[in-house]
Amino acid sequence: MSPDVLDGLAQASQLNTIFAVAVGCFIGLVVGMIPGLTISTGIIIVLPLTFVLSPEISIALLLGLYVSGMTGGSFSAILLNIPGTPSASATAMDGNPMAKNGEAGRAMGIAIVSSFFGGLFSFLCLFFVAPLLAEIALKFQSPDLFSLVFFGLTIICSFAAKSLIKGFLSATLGLAIITVGQDPMMGTHRFTFGEVNLIGGIHFLTALIGLFAIPQLVDNFTELINSNSGRGVVTKIRSVLPNFSDLKLMRLPISIGALVGSFLGILPGAGGPIAAFISYDYSRRSSSDPDRFGKGSPEGIAAPESANNAVTGGALIPMMTLGIPGDPVTAILIGALLIHGLTPGPLLFIENAEFAYGVIFSFFWANIFNIIIALIFLRLIVKVLTIPKTLLMPSIAILCVIGSYALRNNFFDVYVMFAFGMLGLAMRWLEIPIVPLLLAMVLGRQLEEHLRVSLIASKNDVSIFFTSPFSLFFLCLATGSIIWSLRVEYKRRQNSNYHVAL
Amino acid sequence: MINMRTRNLVASIFLLFLCGGYAYLTVNLPTRAIENSTQPSFFPWVIVILLTGLTFLLLIQVATSGKQPNIERKNQVPVKRLIYGLLLSLAYLFALPKLGFVAANIPLFGGLMYLYGERRPIWIGLGSIIISVMVFLVFRKIFQIILPGGVLGDIF
Repeated sequence: MSPDVLDGLAQASQLNTIFAVAVGCFIGLVVGMIPGLTISTGIIIVLPLTFVLSPEISIALLLGLYVSGMTGGSFSAILLNIPGTPSASATAMDGNPMAKNGEAGRAMGIAIVSSFFGGLFSFLCLFFVAPLLAEIALKFQSPDLFSLVFFGLTIICSFAAKSLIKGFLSATLGLAIITVGQDPMMGTHRFTFGEVNLIGGIHFLTALIGLFAIPQLVDNFTELINSNSGRGVVTKIRSVLPNFSDLKLMRLPISIGALVGSFLGILPGAGGPIAAFISYDYSRRSSSDPDRFGKGSPEGIAAPESANNAVTGGALIPMMTLGIPGDPVTAILIGALLIHGLTPGPLLFIENAEFAYGVIFSFFWANIFNIIIALIFLRLIVKVLTIPKTLLMPSIAILCVIGSYALRNNFFDVYVMFAFGMLGLAMRWLEIPIVPLLLAMVLGRQLEEHLRVSLIASKNDVSIFFTSPFSLFFLCLATGSIIWSLRVEYKRRQNSNYHVAL
Repeated sequence: MINMRTRNLVASIFLLFLCGGYAYLTVNLPTRAIENSTQPSFFPWVIVILLTGLTFLLLIQVATSGKQPNIERKNQVPVKRLIYGLLLSLAYLFALPKLGFVAANIPLFGGLMYLYGERRPIWIGLGSIIISVMVFLVFRKIFQIILPGGVLGDIF
């Protein structure tokens, strides 16, 4: 084994790093479970801490939260039929009927164990695929990198939006926002209006806090007023560990979920919900008793839970090797690395190989602690559902303010966060997806830099993007993703017209 | 209730204005006399073209889509309370640099608790004071994040 791998293992196995993973897992389970709080919100809550902690500990904390947030989402899906996270939507279909049959503990046990195996499989993918991909990515030059980032953006737009036009509009707005500040090539000030705080540009973490947290606070506001109750319910949980026959039954759906989740995790924008539903569907088709699905089948819980946790490891592959985030959480992980002067991408495995492997092993520990903490503290964690949201939501509002202020110790960022919150609300009203805007903000600078460097190198000859095989390959993939998305949208429109005509 | 077609029309009109404004600002960006190099306005121009094209596509979609039904809402939006929430947040943002975190957070927290449906004055009072002070102390003393103390800075 290479010394970098061993160093990484040693780094991830230090007591304080493991402690951070465990804390992250606990917070993740709690945040993931509470309906109305997503993993992104959980990460926003702990974000200020990552500014003061070392990069190893920060990433360990965030990874713990990421992994356990996925599992935590299943708890409320099972107990309340309200998925804690969008990725747990498929779990509710069989988890809640099981809970209604008095088997809530068994259902949650199946979810926890399936999440563990899905996560573990994706760790293996991450461990073996990421260094290989990084090695290939080292051969990329500016035109290839431009096409790669462009492909990343198109696929995010294709997955994230019902309407491709709105997906691209969102991404283009994100690109427009990153042009504020210094020009990356010449240092010229653009669109700063003489405001000193704008010279450094708008930090995407500030934007992320506003875009995600404020619409969510408003959503909860509406839900609370309509439900007229800020308090959850307490459910009694008996045995949690799945029995032998359950484990036997879960083998195939877990395998399907792990494979589908890891693969879809690698694709930017696809994410947990898609992986969970696809693996649920495959498991039902391959089951010996498909009629049980939807009525409390353990397989119906195992497949989506394995898939959504497998997505986490898959999503870390493009993030670490190419610097391309697949979802808001990996975007935040990139932000946390950048704050500490570490740039995700192929060079991370050359210049900071020990750290890169440390991240991979922290992910491994996150999966281990996820199952341990979930099984031990399940009864305690479920009690969090009884905390009144009238206390929880204002606390999140305050933490959003601290998160955006602490980024650069600047009130200006608090105002920017609020402005992005308003933008997020407007975009939600117009059904324009938020994720492409955010990820365009993460990738936009790279896109501009590689585009301009390529054009300077080729003396403004655009054929440079079609002569490199890597670049051509990514451009073909980008075109393919656009055509696929247009086809899906066309079919959807035809279906809706058909239903309206009926 | 406003249907999606009207919303898309509103979005298109807004985006057209945005394109115009962005293009105007891009025209006025400084130029650099470096041979064989792209100007600082190069990428913004790419964005202007993209944004304008996409906005027109959205407009075409609006024009070609048939009459759509109004969007049914699952929950009724409490508009009045949302406006109060917005005003509270604006007042908070205005007061924050002057009052500091604790003094500004207490009324915000209490106000939000009330707007989220809490009606017990003791809970609102205790919750807003205890949590605001606790969060401030945890971040400032334990995590060493320099949050401005403002008018109550000396107490902590």
